[in-house]
Amino acid sequence: MADVKQIAEQLKKLTGLRGPVPVELRDRVAAQNKAQRAVLDALKAGPKTVPELAAAAGLPQDQALWYVAALRKYGKIADVPGKGDYPKYELKGGEAK
Amino acid sequence: MSLEKIEVDALVVGSGIAGLQSALDLADQGYSVAIVERNPSIGGKMISLSKVFPTLDCASCITTPRMASVSHHPRITTLTYSTVDAIRREGKTFTAAITRKPRYIDEKECISCKRCEEVCPVFLPDEYEQGMGAKKTISIPFTNAIPQFPVMHPEHCIRCGACARACPKDCIDFLQEPAPVEIKAKAVILATGYETTPMTAKKQYGLGALPNVISPMAAERLLAPHGPYGRVLRPSDGMTPGSIAYVQCAGSRDKSIGIPYCSRVCCMYAIKQAILLSGSLPIADITIYYMDIRAFGKGYEQFYNNARAMGINFVKAKVARITEDENHNPVVRIEKQEGTSGPEEIKHELVILSQGLVPACDGSKFGLGAANNEFGFVKLSDETVSSAVTDGAGVFVAGTAKGPRDIPDSVVDAGSAAIEAASYIRRL
Repeated sequence: MADVKQIAEQLKKLTGLRGPVPVELRDRVAAQNKAQRAVLDALKAGPKTVPELAAAAGLPQDQALWYVAALRKYGKIADVPGKGDYPKYELKGGEAK
Repeated sequence: MSLEKIEVDALVVGSGIAGLQSALDLADQGYSVAIVERNPSIGGKMISLSKVFPTLDCASCITTPRMASVSHHPRITTLTYSTVDAIRREGKTFTAAITRKPRYIDEKECISCKRCEEVCPVFLPDEYEQGMGAKKTISIPFTNAIPQFPVMHPEHCIRCGACARACPKDCIDFLQEPAPVEIKAKAVILATGYETTPMTAKKQYGLGALPNVISPMAAERLLAPHGPYGRVLRPSDGMTPGSIAYVQCAGSRDKSIGIPYCSRVCCMYAIKQAILLSGSLPIADITIYYMDIRAFGKGYEQFYNNARAMGINFVKAKVARITEDENHNPVVRIEKQEGTSGPEEIKHELVILSQGLVPACDGSKFGLGAANNEFGFVKLSDETVSSAVTDGAGVFVAGTAKGPRDIPDSVVDAGSAAIEAASYIRRL
């Protein structure tokens, strides 16, 4: 396993070489974390379509779909089998049921 | 930084299907080959396609065995995530200056366990999924990528160190530098491939700003079984589209964007995608707006007739403009060239622009004598004599680097480039 001290030293050296992490990147990641939490929280109430998720999480619909694609890829949410124009999504393992 | 030196018989630039095939054909004859790819994985454009026309074989089922053969071949050295900065002719040989870009991992130690990717907290648009899916700041490029090494994008790294702490082999190296490589070869095969005309090429078609007007490469990903959504959805709101249209010649046969030539594959990929879409969305209406259908290869005409018989709607019309309504439904303004004429506006739920093919790389920049044709593709010295010999001695070309062509033609061309290169090397 990696030596935590060594990693900290490498990161410190990196900051010395490249300067601090840009504020714009920090803000983007903070916004991402917030959006991700909002999508996952919205799904706790039960399966939802993308427009429903977007409304519940306060995100534009295309962004809600992008987070659905992201969280689906990394195993946090799953497709709900069924028909209809808008497929539904749920928390992985049916936690929302 | 010490200079890594490689000496081979042939250098292949590009690892799409043409590059892979020519490398394999040369290596199987006993020649040593170095293949250089600028992307983190070999496989080129073909590995991201869903299926191929007219057989509807799975594209990765054809590509992955060749990728595996190349990466395991005892006579092929593969350099991925590497750029060819210059190639110099020195007497009868070529010396290429290559830069291995840093992946910020120790490739000798990495076991491709993906733990770094799992713990990384930063999502990025995944260009492999045409931006529709997400990847992490450190991630393996795609499921069947070869090699299976993650790549870190330092400009998106918040330096939290989570990847390094999670790595069981201690192989994350935040301070990795680009590494120079020198390749000496007796012949060069340019297999640098194509790019599609940009979505922004025509202002009449929305300049890429309409969310439900997408590229054919994005449609390929929607149709791929492991695509970004796992099914066909439109990008604006995750709806299953009920009405889909293809706009043919959206990036070729159009002097207004400087591309007067036919890209040769758009008719067939549009028909293929339409057939696949009607399979995955049986109740969807699918329309193809075309100037004329060019189905010239073996089995292509039958493929086209099958598509018509399946109920795909072929409308001979030029699309003048694409706008959208308040629900992001694309509205296509057309003038029919058969039956009743006069402009019409038709609403669809998803539109695919059949973009044309343009060169991905300027082959003449290496100064090896290989000239370009008027459209920027590598020029053949005499098309009637050989399909691979360029104006530069010892420099050969394979695949779409010399002009638009389909996959079967690219594979045949690659064989021809390999034979020409082998014959040249033997004569030295």
